[in-house]
Amino acid sequence: MNSDNKNDIAQRGGVSSLRMLETNLCGVRLKNPLISASGTFGFGMEYDRLYDVSCWGALTLKGLTLKPRAGNPPRRMVETASGMLNSVGLQNPGVDCFIRDDLPRIAEKGVPIIANVSGFSEEEYVAVIRRLADTSVDLIELNISCPNVHCGGTHFATSPESVGEITKAVRAHCRQPLIVKLSPNVTDISAVAMAAEENGADGISLINTLSGMAVDLDKRTPILANVTGGLSGPAIKPVALRMVWQASRTVKIPVVGMGGIMTGRDVAEFMTAGAKAVMIGTANFIDPMSGPRILREFEEYLEESGTTSLASLIGSLKV
Amino acid sequence: MIDQIATVASNRLIAKDTVEMELRLENETRPLPGQFAHIEAKGVFLRRPISVAGYADGLLRVIIQRVGKGSYALSEMQEGETTRVLAPLGNPFPTTPPPGGDGPLWIVGGGIGVAPLLYLGKKLSETVGASREIRSFLGFREPSLVFGADELGGAGEVELATGGLVTDLPERALAKETPSVIFTCGPTGMLRAVQKICAAHNILAYASLEEHMGCGVGACLVCSCKVRTQSGYEYKRVCYDGPVFSLSEVIFG
Repeated sequence: MNSDNKNDIAQRGGVSSLRMLETNLCGVRLKNPLISASGTFGFGMEYDRLYDVSCWGALTLKGLTLKPRAGNPPRRMVETASGMLNSVGLQNPGVDCFIRDDLPRIAEKGVPIIANVSGFSEEEYVAVIRRLADTSVDLIELNISCPNVHCGGTHFATSPESVGEITKAVRAHCRQPLIVKLSPNVTDISAVAMAAEENGADGISLINTLSGMAVDLDKRTPILANVTGGLSGPAIKPVALRMVWQASRTVKIPVVGMGGIMTGRDVAEFMTAGAKAVMIGTANFIDPMSGPRILREFEEYLEESGTTSLASLIGSLKV
Repeated sequence: MIDQIATVASNRLIAKDTVEMELRLENETRPLPGQFAHIEAKGVFLRRPISVAGYADGLLRVIIQRVGKGSYALSEMQEGETTRVLAPLGNPFPTTPPPGGDGPLWIVGGGIGVAPLLYLGKKLSETVGASREIRSFLGFREPSLVFGADELGGAGEVELATGGLVTDLPERALAKETPSVIFTCGPTGMLRAVQKICAAHNILAYASLEEHMGCGVGACLVCSCKVRTQSGYEYKRVCYDGPVFSLSEVIFG
């Protein structure tokens, strides 16, 4: 085969597989189902110094609150077996500063933007979401499950009733499609997923980090200044897969799966379990080129397995 | 900044539990003194941020003290083994030209914190060594841990403390001269003492800080340090806003 033929085939293969990767997430077209996970990708431009971040299907940015937040004192992170615990404590410049300084830069990349919204009260969530209404943000991800802040966050995520209430309150003011990010720190993920759907969520994403802690045995103190933190990385992948599977069997709205995805095959596993798209977080720290690498691996998997559409993969788990 | 494969070109023990390695980089990378590399280590999950101790002809020099699983795994890498290196990261020491007038340049280092100061000393010696006095004060917990003293001797006079407080040395030297700037790296207790000296004598100082890191590129906000602002304080990212900070603005916990 001469090199012209090879190029020809590569091009044709490339074009068809590109179209095949397209997905529609709550009315927003993504060119592929890979999304950066909130809190691991800054405001998007940090990794753009390394590669063109518009290769992602969408970017979820660092969680936003109404007012700037300094975050938790250090130490904020500890490595664990196949994972890490973090307790950043929602450090962010506040939604107004984000809209003025950070959003214009990342919006130029032309990749769909998901703003992650946190709050300590219903009013705060609503206020942040109203400020984002007329911006170029494409989707809202509601963080009701950040386990790091003492006075808020966790209680919204822990019961179907409170998830339903906050979803309903926010939905009424949200111009963009609304994805509710669920916490794994619950007894019945299906009930929580259903509460989000019944109260107007356009999609759900899961799982946020698992609450955990680490001990300094020499000092007999917690290693994290905040005592507890959120566990992420491959350590939580089995829990995440189980919950994505359970939630996706319960709701009709799109499920975005995440938790320890490191490879293209991991992406395929989450989609098989029922995820329409996936979020990739901690992997970026291990391999800063994770975005383009995992996308390439996922395309290779689709080709090798003879998968001809994402639809035929999503929820194809035989139980 | 580029993520690339690096091959161990040499590995030798230079002090107790302290290994000097040269990593051959595939792609041209020009790290400056104070910058660091995020290096993959076998058997641990996250990369390890390691300061650049030197660079020449595609060889990245790092000095690693075995303190935990990650640094131990890195120190065990033998010639020919490969790993992945993201570099150069962070902001360098201000050296072109060094700020603070034309007085002496002091280097204060403690323990493994001496590693980036070796590269700094070389750079200062090459650029302003003819016109500026360079004086180094190095401290180690015990004599078996000493490294780099001879090398910094090439840049100027070196005073060495083994066991006691290294900061006693610059404190004494202040009776004779006042530096226009101090560059420092080492344990927090030492940095706090240097900060106190600099405040008392109104000396400009730059410190390279260390913190447990996730991404290394400013995206994850886990490697924070407390820094003074007009209205109080804020947490800055050691990896991206640092690791070199103006010492007077750092608030040590």
